[in-house]
Amino acid sequence: MPDINLRLLTVHRIKEALQAQVAVGENLLDTHITGIYASDLMSDILAYGKTGSILLTGMNSIQTAVSSYMAEFKAIVFLRGKKPTEDILKFAQGKGLILLTTRTDMYEACIKIAQIDGQLLPGSETAPSLDKEIDVAMHRFNIEGGDFTTAGMISTEIKEILNSIGYEPKLVRRVAISTYEGEMNVVMHAQKGIVTVKASDEEILVNLDDEGKGIPDVEKAMQEGFTTATEEQRALGFGSGMGLPNMKKNADILHVTSEVGKGTHVAMKFIVKK
Amino acid sequence: MKLQEIIEKLNLQVLTKSEAKNVQGVFISDLLSDVMTSANAGDLWLTVQTHHNIIAVANLVNIAAIVVTHGKKVPEETITLGNRYHVIILSTPKTIFEIASSLNAIGLKSQ
Repeated sequence: MPDINLRLLTVHRIKEALQAQVAVGENLLDTHITGIYASDLMSDILAYGKTGSILLTGMNSIQTAVSSYMAEFKAIVFLRGKKPTEDILKFAQGKGLILLTTRTDMYEACIKIAQIDGQLLPGSETAPSLDKEIDVAMHRFNIEGGDFTTAGMISTEIKEILNSIGYEPKLVRRVAISTYEGEMNVVMHAQKGIVTVKASDEEILVNLDDEGKGIPDVEKAMQEGFTTATEEQRALGFGSGMGLPNMKKNADILHVTSEVGKGTHVAMKFIVKK
Repeated sequence: MKLQEIIEKLNLQVLTKSEAKNVQGVFISDLLSDVMTSANAGDLWLTVQTHHNIIAVANLVNIAAIVVTHGKKVPEETITLGNRYHVIILSTPKTIFEIASSLNAIGLKSQ
């Protein structure tokens, strides 16, 4: 008799397999998981992570939670006894993100999850288009350079605004990830910046203007892996040279101009499919 | 387990000069500080990091070899340093999750 197992992979089953504790989301453990992503680099999660995944990570900074929210992940497992900080707990509670903690390391965690006889459901491919007339929404935010504790909060707010307008989730995800990468770039490389969002039923425009050191060679900066980030920034899981390439991948049109010693202007356009 | 056996079974690409090594376990992390504190000598280190600092870390910990996953392009500088300090760099297009399952299937345990 063929061994057909149609049990779905849920957060609960992963929790059992990893002997994990629930830090946030005890009531959400029946949530289905559609992908596994093991990484400590936030830009990688944003570039390759799939909607509906669970993140296995040893990185317990607030950016772990923000990146997971941007990438539409359902849950995070903090490995090797790492504990989510107060700001992570608070963020996750507000966003319906499930947090687990375990002593297991990343290798063991991957193996144990692979041995669960659950079935991964493919992510929903249905893309409801925007079928209502909307007023043009304009929003403007100030970004503080060097402030890693609040970095990502502006992009989080922008994501919520776009969701509330009713754009299709895939489009919102692309805008959110690109804006977040842009926001992190300003935080890492500039003194201050402004992000503006103009959302209509035809397009979403995101502009980031900063006052900072600028980019000497924009073409080079667009290459995957090119980075000028400091060791401290890289320790946060950013600055692995994925930011601009990630923005280019997600935006329909990306335009970057920069002047050394003055600052950088990034313009992104996302077309709303009707 | 012999490194050469793992390279062959998992079809890993060898980016530096290779040497005969014994692999004792597996460690996965993209955080260099975690590798320094928690990885063991003789571990196969799986990561998406390609920055040349990985060579210094691998050298300090006596990592058996680095496996760069996800088909990440490893900069020339990192490969040159790897050759100079006898740190073997391997590459695979697979993700961490996929390659971990394959390593488990051929019998590698964490230390």
